[in-house]
Amino acid sequence: MSPQGNGSTPVVHMENITKRFGNILALDNVDFTVEHNQVMALLGDNGAGKSTLIKILTGVYRPTSGKIYFEGREVNIESPRQARDLGIETVYQDLALIDLMSITRNFFLGRELVRRYGPFEWLDMRRMDQATREVLRDIGITVRSPSERVGKLSGGERQSVAIGRAMYFGAKLLILDEPTSALSVAETRRVLDHILEVKEKGLSVVFITHNVYHVYEVADAYTILRHGRKVGTYKKGELSVNDIADLITGAREK
Amino acid sequence: MGAPRTKEKNLWELFITSPIAGPVATLVVIVVLFSLFVPHFASMRSVSGIINAATLTGMVTIGVTLLMISGEFDLSVGSLVAIGAYAFAFGTTEWHSPILAVLGALVITGFLGMVNGLIFVQTGIPSFIITLGTLYIYRGAVWLLSGGRLIQTLERPLVYEVFNGRLDIVNQFFHGANFRTSLLWLLGMTAFFQYILVRTRYGNHVFAVGGNPLGALAQGVNIARVKIINFTISGAMAGLTGILLFSQYRSVRVATGAGMELNAIAAAVVGGTLLTGGAGSIWGALVGALLISTLRTGVILMNIPFIPADNFEAVVGVTIIGAVILNNWLRNRG
Repeated sequence: MSPQGNGSTPVVHMENITKRFGNILALDNVDFTVEHNQVMALLGDNGAGKSTLIKILTGVYRPTSGKIYFEGREVNIESPRQARDLGIETVYQDLALIDLMSITRNFFLGRELVRRYGPFEWLDMRRMDQATREVLRDIGITVRSPSERVGKLSGGERQSVAIGRAMYFGAKLLILDEPTSALSVAETRRVLDHILEVKEKGLSVVFITHNVYHVYEVADAYTILRHGRKVGTYKKGELSVNDIADLITGAREK
Repeated sequence: MGAPRTKEKNLWELFITSPIAGPVATLVVIVVLFSLFVPHFASMRSVSGIINAATLTGMVTIGVTLLMISGEFDLSVGSLVAIGAYAFAFGTTEWHSPILAVLGALVITGFLGMVNGLIFVQTGIPSFIITLGTLYIYRGAVWLLSGGRLIQTLERPLVYEVFNGRLDIVNQFFHGANFRTSLLWLLGMTAFFQYILVRTRYGNHVFAVGGNPLGALAQGVNIARVKIINFTISGAMAGLTGILLFSQYRSVRVATGAGMELNAIAAAVVGGTLLTGGAGSIWGALVGALLISTLRTGVILMNIPFIPADNFEAVVGVTIIGAVILNNWLRNRG
């Protein structure tokens, strides 16, 4: 599939990605494409390779072979910082935020706003607090102060903050790694709503999940991996929930 | 609109939620207690004595605390204090060059601290183990280079007075007081590194790396760089402590500084720094060092009936544990 598809360019196109860890073949010639302004779900059982594929996209791993195109241009993503600079923001399950630090400090980690005085610079806490406060309001968290420690937030609130952070910093592609796995029903609802809001703002989203029902709710398309290979990419509504489950477990081949 | 705004914290709330609340509260309680039971405990002679006993530990603790907040340990600081003291001593007594002596001490110990960091980054072995090894390796180097000889002098060049001379501007107001310039160095360095920790980008990265290394990595923080820098600072601060030490006592032997690493860790932890990293304060470390020194002095002077004076260390140990419990309780209450 060429990067210049019909109509708009896909935001990311991964071509023939193979990843080996020593003797273990984690990914075998996987193609993965996310269209512009699309919510793409990445499905597969444990060990299927979803996490590995995403880590390659976010610069944590380098592919053994294969190419990555971002917005039509070939790129070499060598570190998480580079991925972030391209506009790829990730919300990991446990790793997104640092519990002991305040919301503001987490929000601006790695992108801190500073005031300069000659050769000296120091953190502009006031501007950062203000920006954080606004984002918290936008994402619907009204009872928290930006100087509160993240550890006091619920799982859903944390996901919301991480997603809000990605949007604030102008992400083009938002990657969510099992965003709803540890959440209550109400919090899951909120995160799924966020995903739709994010899409409305023009971003593309990749979300990894086990939960096929969530896929049905928000995804425009879904890619299924099994044993390091791509089983297929399907559009919303093409398959039933049972079909999807069968493809994941291998009860069905295609 | 109309969403409830969290109110601005008043001064008291600001204090009680700061990381320094627990250590300061404990210190105040202990000082009050001792003042009641020990005559002249709050005299400036007594206070300056306690401060002097705490200053050297406090200086080492600055670097150790910064490193601990980023999640690593440096057990070799005691040996590095000796190396710093010897280098400074040699530079002033043999070469008569204060500048070379100071630079030499700081550069050598900073370099050896950096070596700790490089070994850590390259091998992935826990820093506790690495610096446990370098504790002995560096101590062995001290043996070798000094030939087992101590360095001692009776001279009083200006440089010694600058680093650890009597602070007579203050002492003249208080009879019997012995405040020293090393206190100014300690306050200055504490303020400087606390500023770096809480008011700079780098400081934010230090907290992040200690609190959740993978989370920090995901946000593009260079973990290796942060840790190597902190190891280097820890080494250099130990070197500075060696300079202060020799400036005061004008003598250094091969065993100098042994055991300081544990004192530093105790002071850091009592001062609110988490052993597991991610939280702490440099001012807290200073309070921690003061607290332990106050305890030691006070317990001996107080002559508690059922605790013979030579068991004073046990009281110190109990209080360390109690202080940490209090710190954790306050932290979890928010």
